[in-house]
Amino acid sequence: MWPTKLVSVFTVFTIVLYAATGILTLWSIVETIRNRPAGKALLGGAALLLLLLIVQLIISIATFGSTHDVDPLLYFGYIITAIMVMALAGFWAFAELSRWGPGVLAAAGLTVIVMIERLDQIWQ
Amino acid sequence: MTRRNRFGGDSADDANSAGSANAAGNAKSAGDADSTAASARGQTGRSPFSAMHTGPGRALTAVYGVFALSATARAGYQLIREFDVAPIAYSLSAFAAVIYILATVCLVIGNRVSHRIAVAACAIEFLGVIVVGILSHTHPEDFAKPSVWSNFGSGYGYIPLLLPLIGLWWLLRVGRRASRG
Repeated sequence: MWPTKLVSVFTVFTIVLYAATGILTLWSIVETIRNRPAGKALLGGAALLLLLLIVQLIISIATFGSTHDVDPLLYFGYIITAIMVMALAGFWAFAELSRWGPGVLAAAGLTVIVMIERLDQIWQ
Repeated sequence: MTRRNRFGGDSADDANSAGSANAAGNAKSAGDADSTAASARGQTGRSPFSAMHTGPGRALTAVYGVFALSATARAGYQLIREFDVAPIAYSLSAFAAVIYILATVCLVIGNRVSHRIAVAACAIEFLGVIVVGILSHTHPEDFAKPSVWSNFGSGYGYIPLLLPLIGLWWLLRVGRRASRG
């Protein structure tokens, strides 16, 4: 029984990821327009998103065997790339002291949204 | 709290500081603009050609980096798993990924040579996206599987079409500023 339960957890978690990435991206765009560097709260948001992506990785490892044939190289290639993009952008935004720190976070956020969509497509 | 710069300063774009560094460099002979600009900023190993001096330049470099990373990951997968399906499209993907990495690295290094390589890389990217975009319409059978440059980069939100233009515009701007005087 528990694998099916985990799969529905997975669907809910994808929606959470969409919401978190969307909020972070919009917030970053607003901060870029307002000409602010990335503050502690925004960087914390980026760290939280990174954490959520890692949780997604763990959930998908846990449920991977119980699902239909998904190419592991394709799926984990995407999720690890998404984690790397978010980690690098977060570090970049921390080091950058101008409005372009949030700007880079916004660009990374858009990339990660597309990747979450691709991950969802691949999974189904 | 978070409105302020984390290090207590103003959040102004640092384009001004780079501008003054170049102004100081221009006051002297243009023969060795690299070292004069570097010493004017009290730093070593920096050149006026580098995109890293200004916020927008660093943002452009970061976006190039993100694109290089995702293009490399995708091309790597295509080469490993399904190269036989569409060798032309996937070879192009790999080539494009290498060019994006090259452009990113050259934007960071920013000496005279790397500036020229970056201009060439951006020009190749733009030509690639145009030529492959046209070919994928006239010869769809050779481009059955998507590459980064197919259909003018529509699979990537037309970023492959826009990025080299922004890159070229930036490189020409920086080049003009660095060689002035």
